[in-house]
Order: sequence, then structure tokens, then C-alpha cells
Amino acid sequence: MYRNVSSLIKACDELNLPIWELMIRSEMKYARATRQEVWDKMKNQLQVMENAAHRGADGNGVHSPTGLTGGEAAKMRKYRESGKGLSGELILSAIQNSLATNEVNAAMGLICATPTAGSSGTIPGVLFSIDQKLHLTEDQKIQFLFTAGAFGLLTANNAMIAGAVGGCQAEVGSASAMAAAAAVEICGGTPNQAAEAFAMALSNLLGLVCDPVAGLVEIPCVKRNVVGSVNALACADMALAGLTNKIPADEVIGAMKRIGENMPVQLRETGLGGLATTKTGLKMKIRIFGEDMD
Amino acid sequence: MSGNYKSVFDIIGPVMVGPSSSHTAGAVAIGQVAHKLFSQKITQVTIDYYESFAKTHRGHGTDFAIIAGVLGMQTDDLRVPDAVRIAKMKGIKVKFIEHEGKSPINHPNTSIVTLANKDKEVKVAGCSIGGGTIEIRKIQIDGHEFFPTGPLPIIICLAKDGKQNSILESLACGDDFIVKKAERSISSGCCLLEFDLDKKPDEQILEHIASMSKELICL
Repeated sequence: MYRNVSSLIKACDELNLPIWELMIRSEMKYARATRQEVWDKMKNQLQVMENAAHRGADGNGVHSPTGLTGGEAAKMRKYRESGKGLSGELILSAIQNSLATNEVNAAMGLICATPTAGSSGTIPGVLFSIDQKLHLTEDQKIQFLFTAGAFGLLTANNAMIAGAVGGCQAEVGSASAMAAAAAVEICGGTPNQAAEAFAMALSNLLGLVCDPVAGLVEIPCVKRNVVGSVNALACADMALAGLTNKIPADEVIGAMKRIGENMPVQLRETGLGGLATTKTGLKMKIRIFGEDMD
Repeated sequence: MSGNYKSVFDIIGPVMVGPSSSHTAGAVAIGQVAHKLFSQKITQVTIDYYESFAKTHRGHGTDFAIIAGVLGMQTDDLRVPDAVRIAKMKGIKVKFIEHEGKSPINHPNTSIVTLANKDKEVKVAGCSIGGGTIEIRKIQIDGHEFFPTGPLPIIICLAKDGKQNSILESLACGDDFIVKKAERSISSGCCLLEFDLDKKPDEQILEHIASMSKELICL
């Protein structure tokens, strides 16, 4: 396991290997598993992600038991198919896949946490939109996930990935940065460009709070994943164009950690602040749980 | 660097029933630890919640998730949302308690799971640190307390007095293993041992330790 982003990138350069390859080797060593076993497990995660993204947008979509979210990924698919979209096919597809995955999650369906369930739509949004544009092979999609995982491990161990610990920056922020790095690598960028994309994407979402209405992973989580996906695609493009973040990735992770530590508890997945305590947010909470909730 | 997250599948995973990796999948994992330690017919389950868990357990499905773990289900088991009903059908008494104030193990996502029947009681204080990964910071088996450092894997075994060092040696013989040991003497020449490990030992080592123990649980 590598200690930080800079040592991971240094190892890639020295060994002349991609990030995903180093992640596979590290996992084989940790899990005492063969290459095939590690590869097949990631293939399984990919299939779960593909199924969830498909299920959420199919027909009229899925709906959560509370009725707060659902059916909007399907609406988005119909709009995209109408050809009237403003954003272009790549972005529209990212929006759809991101919404679909998170709606399945809110409906208590089967998803793959990447890195968390609340942020499970961000990476599929990026991966499946790029897939639609570039027609990735299955191998490339699996490689994408190993690269994303490598950056996620470094983020989790050097900062945090739980909303209750560090706010939404730690969930959707981390997922977005992981996706940006993996997108760069799969599109032919260097490991260093991947690290720049990661640093840009995480910098852009620093300070994002976790303020779920009624404490549920629905509002605003489902749509916040869309921001994570679109931010990742923009940062991947910036890195591929040669733009840099100026603040190195490891220092951005450190900044996120400190911001998380300073974030008031009301804004860390307690449902006690932000959108959760708006007039409408509180009404929803009472409708779902009754008056007796404090 | 904390090193609490060890596998790429802690990050790209787990595959789980929604809606929250920390409050649902992590809760399943804490319940599973209690399930493994108890390994008998359960008649009563008490769940104590603190901080974020106390505020949002209902919305996140933490109740059914933790009970699913107690019943031995995995995070991707489609029966997870039905677990509380299934437990009640099995005649298990289930109780959830929300606490005001700070977590006794110092983490916003804390739950203490107590499993009991008329002969045995096991208490597990766990926290869900994000992405479905958990830490176990206190274990109590029939009044004997342990305070693990947190991250899994943890091995708990019941062995004859005097076997402690041989078990420690066989655990430590693997490559770059970090082993921390705690022990509690109990009656009839036996002691209860806890080992915090850096990674899961292979099957051979586990079998060897099992041969020296009366009971062995790998968390």
C-alpha cells in the first residue's frame, strides 16, 4: 500500500506501470489472492454498478419507500433521448447514470458503494458516460475501477470518506476526485495528469456539507452525485489539456481533513442543519417520521 | 496515515442493499461481529445508538441492517430490509435505545450491540468509519472486557493457560504481520485471548491456531 499520492505516482513513473496495475499488485499482496481472483471480484463490482444504473433509468425507474426520490433518472433518460438536451450527450449520460444509481440506493436496491452508498452514483456517472462515448472494453472499465480505488484508499486513510466525519466533501468530493483520476488514465493521460485531475476535482468540492433531509440518503444526495460526476469530467478534461491544480493532491487531501474536523456537527450527517432544517425539509421529516422526532 | 482501509474493495465496495454505507452496510458488519462472537441461540438483542447513529438510524435503515448482521446476513442479502421482522418471527426480543451525548468510544457513528440468552451475554461496541468499513473498540464476553485498537481483523480465542505464546508465535510467523495481544484469565485453567492483526492470516495458520484453542473466532 502506498502512503500518499506522490509516492504512488513516483512508483508508477519508476516502474513504468499504470496506477491500476500497482493497485492490483497491492491488493493481491494484502488479500493473499491471485490476480484472477482480484480481477474477478472487481468484475463483479462492475456488474452490480451496471445493473443498478440500468435498473434506475429503465421504464419509469424506481422509487424510495418514503416517496422523496425516484423516477427522475427515467425522466432524464427520456429527455436525453428526445435530443433536446442542452449539455451534450456525454454530460447528459453522466447525469442519467448518476441519478439512476443513487435512486436505486435510496430505494434500498443493490448497489456498489464507491466509496460510500450515498456517493455511489458519481463513479458510474463518469464511467458509463465515457463508455458510451469511447466504447471501452470490459478490461478498461475494470482498470478504471482499480485506479479509482487506489485514489480512494489514499483519501480514506489520509482524511476521511464518511459524511458523519467530514461532510459530503468526503463522500461525493472523494468519489468525484477518484473518478476524475481514473477518467484521465483511461483516456491515455499520464499518472501525473491523473493526480492533477484528482487534486482539481477534490479542491472544487472542499467544504461541501452533509445535510440530508430527515437524515435520509435522498435529498440532496441523489442530485449531488450529478455534480460529482460532471465536476469529474470537467477536471479530467482540464488535466488532459495540461492544466494543473497548483496545490498538490496530498495537500488537498490534508485540507479536506482539516475542513472536516472543523465542520460543525449539524452539517455532518445528523440532519440538524442546512437543507434538513429548511421549512420544507422539516415538513418532510414530520410527514415521514411523525411529530415525535426531535 | 491511518491505514484503516486496507483493501481496494473497502473503497470499490461493498456490494450492498442501500441506502447508506456507514449507517446500513457498516451496521450490518457490526451486527455480524456480535453474531460471530455469540454463536448461540439469541433471545434478546439490545442496540444502543450514539451521535449520528442516534439521530438518523431510522432514516438510514440502521435498525434492520444491524439486526440483519446479528442474524448472520451479508450486506448484499436482499432480506436485509426485512431483518427486524424476521428476528421477531424467530422470537427474538429487539430493543433500540437512542442516547443523548457523546459516544463512549469517541466516534459519531457508534452502536453498542448486546446479545443475550439465559446463559451468555456478549457486548460489542463498534463504529462505522465510512464506506462500510468498521472498527471494534470494545468487546465484552460474559463480563470479560477487551479494548481492541479498532480495525479488523481481530482474532478472539479461548485457549488453555500457557498456550498464549505459541499462538502468538504462529500468528507472527507470517510476513510483515503486526500482532497486538490482550488476554483475560478465566476460570478452569483457560484464558481468553484477543489479537489485533494487520491482515487476515491464511487458512494454514488459522487451522494451526484452532488446534491449540478450544474456541477460535476470526472477526
